Amino acid sequence: MLKLVVCIKQVPQVSELPWDPDTGRLQRELASGIMNPACRFALEAALKIKDKIGARITAITMGPLSAEEVLREAIALGADRGILLTDRKMAGSDTYTTSFTISKAIQKNIPEFDLILCGASTSDSATAQVGPQLAEELDIPGIAYVNEMEIAGSKARVRRMADDFFETIELELPGLVTINASGAVPRYTSMRGFQAAFAESDIITLDSVSLGLSHEWIGAKGSAAKIRRVYSPTAGKENVVLTGTTKRILDQLFMLFDDRIGGMIGKDLKTDKS
Amino acid sequence: MFFNPSMKHKALRKALRMFAETEIGPMARDIDRNATFPWEIVEKMRPLDLFGLQAPKAFGGADMDSISYAIVIEEISRVSAAIGLCLAAHNSLSLHPILRWGTEEQKKRFLPEMVRGEKIGAFCMTEAGIGSDVGGVETSATLEENEYVLSGTKIFVTNGGICGTAIVFATTDSHNPREGAAMFIVEKESPGFVVGEKEDLCGMRANPVSSIYLEDCRVPDKNMLGLPGEGVKIGMETINVGRIGIAAQAVGIAQAAFEDAVVYSKARQQFHKSLSSFQSIRNYLADMATDIDAGRLLLYRACAAQDSGNPFREEAAMAKLFCSEMAVRAANKAVQIHGGYGCSKEYDVERYFRDAKVTEIYEGTSEVQRMVISREVLNRRV
Repeated sequence: MLKLVVCIKQVPQVSELPWDPDTGRLQRELASGIMNPACRFALEAALKIKDKIGARITAITMGPLSAEEVLREAIALGADRGILLTDRKMAGSDTYTTSFTISKAIQKNIPEFDLILCGASTSDSATAQVGPQLAEELDIPGIAYVNEMEIAGSKARVRRMADDFFETIELELPGLVTINASGAVPRYTSMRGFQAAFAESDIITLDSVSLGLSHEWIGAKGSAAKIRRVYSPTAGKENVVLTGTTKRILDQLFMLFDDRIGGMIGKDLKTDKS
Repeated sequence: MFFNPSMKHKALRKALRMFAETEIGPMARDIDRNATFPWEIVEKMRPLDLFGLQAPKAFGGADMDSISYAIVIEEISRVSAAIGLCLAAHNSLSLHPILRWGTEEQKKRFLPEMVRGEKIGAFCMTEAGIGSDVGGVETSATLEENEYVLSGTKIFVTNGGICGTAIVFATTDSHNPREGAAMFIVEKESPGFVVGEKEDLCGMRANPVSSIYLEDCRVPDKNMLGLPGEGVKIGMETINVGRIGIAAQAVGIAQAAFEDAVVYSKARQQFHKSLSSFQSIRNYLADMATDIDAGRLLLYRACAAQDSGNPFREEAAMAKLFCSEMAVRAANKAVQIHGGYGCSKEYDVERYFRDAKVTEIYEGTSEVQRMVISREVLNRRV
């Protein structure tokens, strides 16, 4: 039977993210975690394959203990088992150490996998790097930003949107795809699935020791990228209220914004007063 | 004592909220205004097992605990109380009595279709002359060979216009209606089962609450739920369970009103500052938040009591009483915070205000809840 691996990240739900101003990191413990939207689409793509030709799906996530929740949700939706990579020493990982750690867990626990599916990017950091890096770590072909896919024998045929055209690409399995948050709308969790996933689930928890990973290679220590500062972008905004008669308002409007109005109508209003 | 929700309950709330906001949210205002029941939502709720929340797995149900049930009703009602009402009436007033008092044969016959949501349940108790005083039931059930002939009119039947299976309260003894009271499972197709016009309601308008006319409606005698004479007991116990659903609905409505009030008070500027910077408005919001939390705790305590298998009559009545009155207070304050806009149908708080009111009335009025609670209180040694 086809063996699929779906990589899932738990991301904070709130739009106003609570940052730690000293470390520049997200204070995840303050935010309510949800399954990253693109990961939900990746899981849906795997479930579609399972519905059609049968497959055994392993959901894998790296995060705090509470990330177990997204694995149970994945099992409620139809995944067969979950692997939780959790260890305080894995905290602060950049994309390189994240993909490295996940690759080791896959090599150790699911060495005979056929296809790995990742969300194209996450809603909290949006690097879109972990999927492609994971393909490199495992030395398998990888295709990013996939919209649709099907399995044909030992190959996967995928379709993705390039600049202004669609590409259809075949890749030899084992391989990796990252799935865009578009295409087949993810299903909702059934209440029966939910009850079952929280009653009896096949979830294993692995830490750096069980994976045989030196602390020098993982987490903040192994990460090449250091976050210097995180801040919300602000745009300087000013409200201007024009008063007076209509003629006066219009005069002021042109005086203040002639370049922008001119830009819109394609005229240089500074020189062309007609 | 443990006050933190479990991972399961937190995840369940998120999942239901996503479903309700995405699928029901966009139409919630229109189905209220036009008083139309959205069958397309039923189609979407069926595969999620929302019509078999607490039914055993053997019948295709989700076999949920009571707190999970409350969370489902709360989250659906937060977006559309009328849809929350449909699920609460189906699950706790129709499915529940069959699960609890039905024979194996009755369960096999009726449950699968109901659990799949192919037949929506309704509970027919109220008549023009009887509300809380169920002992005065006038709908008669006369045994003719192996059929009961039901005759009478039931009013204010939630899900009346869409039901496939109804639980009907009637009496086999017109001289001693209480002693002869019995419950019957009646299918919509039964001869003489006639659905009347739907009510033009104040709130919960998307639910087709209707009268049901039983015009010599014939049902097989094996459709009687429990024994002759057990009707009042079954009815009262069922309504007791139903109170948890109504309390959950009320918490959902109050939560929605509170969230809208918070958003509006931050955005609305008066005297060059946001409403949320005025102490009066902040006090309202603080009271609402405290009220909702208190209600939710009472609700989950009643659920926990039900899950533990202990009696929960008093807990359910307290939760229902407090949560329904709390929802009316919260919706009222949310309208007040919205000012003139709160009285406009352009804003959802106007709908919450109308929806909240009936939670103080059905499944026993607030006055009846106080009767129930005071009886329990006075029976105890102090």
